[in-house]
Amino acid sequence: MEEQLQAIIAETESALASVEARSQLDQVKATIIGGNGKLTVLMKGIAAVPKEERPAFGQAVNKAKKQIESLLTQTAESLDNAEDAAALGKTADVTLPPSGNYIGGLHPLTQTKRRIASIFRQIGFTVAEATEVETEWFCFDALNTPEDHPARDEQDTLYFPKESRFGNVSRKTEEAYVLRTHTSSVQIRTMLKEKPPIRVIAPGRCFRRDTVDATHSANFHQVEGLYVDKKVTVRDLKAVLDHLLRELFGKEVKTRLRPSFFPFTEPSFEVDLYSSNLGRLSNKWIEIMGCGMVDPKVFENVDIDSKEWSGFAFGIGIERVAMMLHGIDDIRHFYQNDLRFLSQF
Amino acid sequence: MKVSIEWLKDYVEVDASTEELVEVFPMLGMEVEGVEGGGGADIDKVVVGEVLTRNPHPEADRLSVCTVNVGEGQPEASIVCGASNFQPGDRVPVALPGAKLPGGFKIKKSKLRGVTSEGMMCSAKELNLGDDHDGLLVLAHRPDVGIPIKEAFADSDVTFDLELTANRGDCLSHLGVARELAARYDRKIRFPEVKSDVPTVSEPSADNLLSKVSIESENCKLYLAWTIKGLKVGPSPEWMKRRLESVGLRPINNVVDVTNYVLMETGNPLHAFDAKKIAGNEIRIRNATEGETIKTLDEVDRRLDESMMVIADAEKPLVVAGVMGSVDAEVDQNTTDIALEAAWFSPGNVRATARKLNLSTDSSYRFARDVNPQLARYSAQRAIDLILETAGGELVSEEVKVGNPPRGDRTIEIAPDFVRSTCGYEVTDEQLADAWGRLGFTVEKGEPWKVTVPSFRAEVDRPIDLVEEFVRIHGTSEIPETRVVCEAVSRNDAAQFTFSEKAADALVGQGFRECCQYSLRDGKEIEAWSDQATVEALTLANPLTAEHTHLRASLLPGLLETLAHNQRNHNDLRRVFEVGRILRPAPKGTTELQSVAFAILTKPIAREWDTELAPDFHEAKLLANRLLAATGIIMPKGGLRSLEDSSAWQQGHAASAGDVHQNRVELTVGFCKLSLSREKGVNGPVLACELLVDPVMLRQKVKPVKFRSFGSFPPALKDLALVVDENVPAEDVRLAIETAALQATDKNFIVDPVTIFDVFEGKGLGEGKKSVACAIRFRSDDRTLEDKDVNAAFDETQRILAETTDYALRS
Repeated sequence: MEEQLQAIIAETESALASVEARSQLDQVKATIIGGNGKLTVLMKGIAAVPKEERPAFGQAVNKAKKQIESLLTQTAESLDNAEDAAALGKTADVTLPPSGNYIGGLHPLTQTKRRIASIFRQIGFTVAEATEVETEWFCFDALNTPEDHPARDEQDTLYFPKESRFGNVSRKTEEAYVLRTHTSSVQIRTMLKEKPPIRVIAPGRCFRRDTVDATHSANFHQVEGLYVDKKVTVRDLKAVLDHLLRELFGKEVKTRLRPSFFPFTEPSFEVDLYSSNLGRLSNKWIEIMGCGMVDPKVFENVDIDSKEWSGFAFGIGIERVAMMLHGIDDIRHFYQNDLRFLSQF
Repeated sequence: MKVSIEWLKDYVEVDASTEELVEVFPMLGMEVEGVEGGGGADIDKVVVGEVLTRNPHPEADRLSVCTVNVGEGQPEASIVCGASNFQPGDRVPVALPGAKLPGGFKIKKSKLRGVTSEGMMCSAKELNLGDDHDGLLVLAHRPDVGIPIKEAFADSDVTFDLELTANRGDCLSHLGVARELAARYDRKIRFPEVKSDVPTVSEPSADNLLSKVSIESENCKLYLAWTIKGLKVGPSPEWMKRRLESVGLRPINNVVDVTNYVLMETGNPLHAFDAKKIAGNEIRIRNATEGETIKTLDEVDRRLDESMMVIADAEKPLVVAGVMGSVDAEVDQNTTDIALEAAWFSPGNVRATARKLNLSTDSSYRFARDVNPQLARYSAQRAIDLILETAGGELVSEEVKVGNPPRGDRTIEIAPDFVRSTCGYEVTDEQLADAWGRLGFTVEKGEPWKVTVPSFRAEVDRPIDLVEEFVRIHGTSEIPETRVVCEAVSRNDAAQFTFSEKAADALVGQGFRECCQYSLRDGKEIEAWSDQATVEALTLANPLTAEHTHLRASLLPGLLETLAHNQRNHNDLRRVFEVGRILRPAPKGTTELQSVAFAILTKPIAREWDTELAPDFHEAKLLANRLLAATGIIMPKGGLRSLEDSSAWQQGHAASAGDVHQNRVELTVGFCKLSLSREKGVNGPVLACELLVDPVMLRQKVKPVKFRSFGSFPPALKDLALVVDENVPAEDVRLAIETAALQATDKNFIVDPVTIFDVFEGKGLGEGKKSVACAIRFRSDDRTLEDKDVNAAFDETQRILAETTDYALRS
């Protein structure tokens, strides 16, 4: 009997060896464990086996059946695998480029803007936004820039016609609309809307009535910063800007605050940077940004009590930082969007 | 402004080197734009040589071969030279073999086109002595031959070109700059002594060359006049000419030169009139009449208006006050009698007039920055001394004075603790008193301190201004370095910023390159892409150029230009996007909107081994849907619908959803109008998407989503194909089926969103018909649906469709 079982197993194995399709597998299955299959027939012979031998018989047959079923399953699996593999086609040449072989990327100005924003987030500054269309009051008067100040000249600032009306740019009175010349106007809108303590940066697009050349652009980008709290000092201002410039340009850079003048800060400074690692700009003092303590008149204009609160403000050009970081020599590259430029960053 | 160091030394002891001053001036708030002169050339083996002969080079037309005497006992040098601005006999710098020039260039004996050259004759630029590199630096003062070049310049002056900030009008003179250096180095300042001291009268006496002086304009607060008789106009002395030239002024004659000299010395503009040319001997300071004309000294006829102030005689204007005189009262070779003016004019008025006339002068520049009115008398006295010294004549012994100085010294009360709390670092009372004292301020310590600021510092009038002065003079290098220490301020980034970041990241992930375009556009472009109302709303009042007359109404035209630019340059750039602000007219006024736009080139120029499927409308729609999902913007109700009559988009191949003014969101997807993309120079159709968002919407607070539970029982699937007119949108069919199915189940079980799986046009459907096949999934949360329930619902769905639509069941 054991010989019979071994013969059936051997027959199954040899039959399966030549199976190449599921139909052949089904056929083999039918001849062995189908209704009239060889094993089935053998099993049915149990009736003729003496009662005391039946348990051993049953065990032997079951063992053989399991073995056969396992063989069938293995074959079925290898058929499936072969079928799946066939569906994948020929071996891929992994060195070929994909079709549509282009990738996306952020503009270098966006990358620089985000880098600056993330440096400021480390020290608790968050981003504030306001409109690019501004009014004279928010762009100049509130920032203590008097009516006859050269910055307000039509030579330098782009104005909208007197009759223009804007739906989502609020005015103080009936003043003219302009394109903001700096994001310092965001300071004003923020201070009018939020109460101190305030710690914000305002990255955004600004406009000057400039002829476009290698260093000038009709529009450009700036990050303005504002910090208003109790007991904010010149020392805090230096600490924050040193942090920014060292994170941006490396720990070894030197900085200096050079006395300067802005209508909206007092005292005012230009920040100079000295680094051995800035290409053509290495090893000399390079002007990088303006800053100062918020002028009491600005606080007065936004109803913040300068006896209780003090603060500082600063502004840095995103194009300028990107040009220094990457050694870009012409500001127009940022606006030409040539792939050979964009893909470098 | 140019300042001469030699000149400065008249007023303050300066022993700092040029290199030191280059560092010192900026830290006082004066930027150094340039430094000139000063024998900066401390270079070994560069000596003074004298050209002995000059002959043409046998092989090169542009070169000459010279013999040069380079010093006693030295052999004559033969030098090949490319310059032509010299003669035999001229003395020039000669770099001998072994010299190393500032640029790092080493001189050695060499052959130039076959002729030996034993050194090089140098230009000013090559020695870092100036910008001139057109020819040799011919040493006109003929220093001794053979001496080192450094010695040839040993006593020459250095001039600094300083850029001053708008608030520091007081520094626009040598005395002003000297005062800053005196404060920096803690030195005394020496004012030149003046001799001409005469009594002051308010009305001229009979002796005076003037009969009357009257102020009739509120923009003049003080007017002083003197007259001098019998002077002789001629050239100024050499020392004065040299000083004027050193700061960039052209000497004219002794009288005019003195007024310019004093202007550069004290910063106070003065004006000299030829007294005989003053009609009626009368000086009137009045506003110009509308349309009055004057020919200014630059020979330009200028038309004046009532806002401008003039100094006039009985008949006509003689000077645009504080700006420029006229040819009518000019001091010339024949002048013998003069009237000299010193005055204080309102800064704003002078600035406005200069701007209107587009005429900025040394005088207007200073008046516009608030000249010290207390200095007018001293400046005039100084000028009179110099005129009498250089041109002779006799001073009429009286000063005519009309009006009064509008401001003088002022006293500011300040507590030292205020300085300390603003600075944030250790400052002693002594340091404070020292810094202010050096600036010439008087400090009276008390409760509080009283600091008196002289009239020359018009802008220092608040405690915070004194803090600034302290920090400046004490030195910003004294501010200690610290780590940033600050308490948290709980605040999020502005929603608009976060939105922009998400949008950019989403599109970068889909293979798009971010671009940055100019916001200013050409009005014609706006008209082509939108309409006349937009053109009008977006116009600038004072554009600089004809191409930059309007603000942008869309990011798309710029993106198309970028695609065209890259296509022309054979750059394989196919997908671009921009995130930026645009303007759109709206009923309540023009509105600034946040926009995200992308554009896809459908015909890439790059050839590939395996061609990418040309992107179609549905690709753009998919990308737009993903963009909405990534930025959390909800598609406006109604979804994308075919766009009719658009100026920017191709009819039949574009769709839009929402209206930004009503829904605060507007999405448009499809092909840009083919004629527009062609006009922008793009080869092939451009697929694009423009999303407009009103920033107000981004600021809305989003409520947390409420979870809905779902069951684990399998759905029952039913397919349904309907035959409809070919112009019926598939979405209408899908929606009809979904609505019918929902109605049919009567909330007894769930209907998943119905999906379209096949659209077919062709044989057997009839002319102008198409079939839309949809899959319906019925399910229940609490049981496996039985066939009879599902079939009943499906039958009912079909019945409802038959009743409510004219769509036919596809047989």
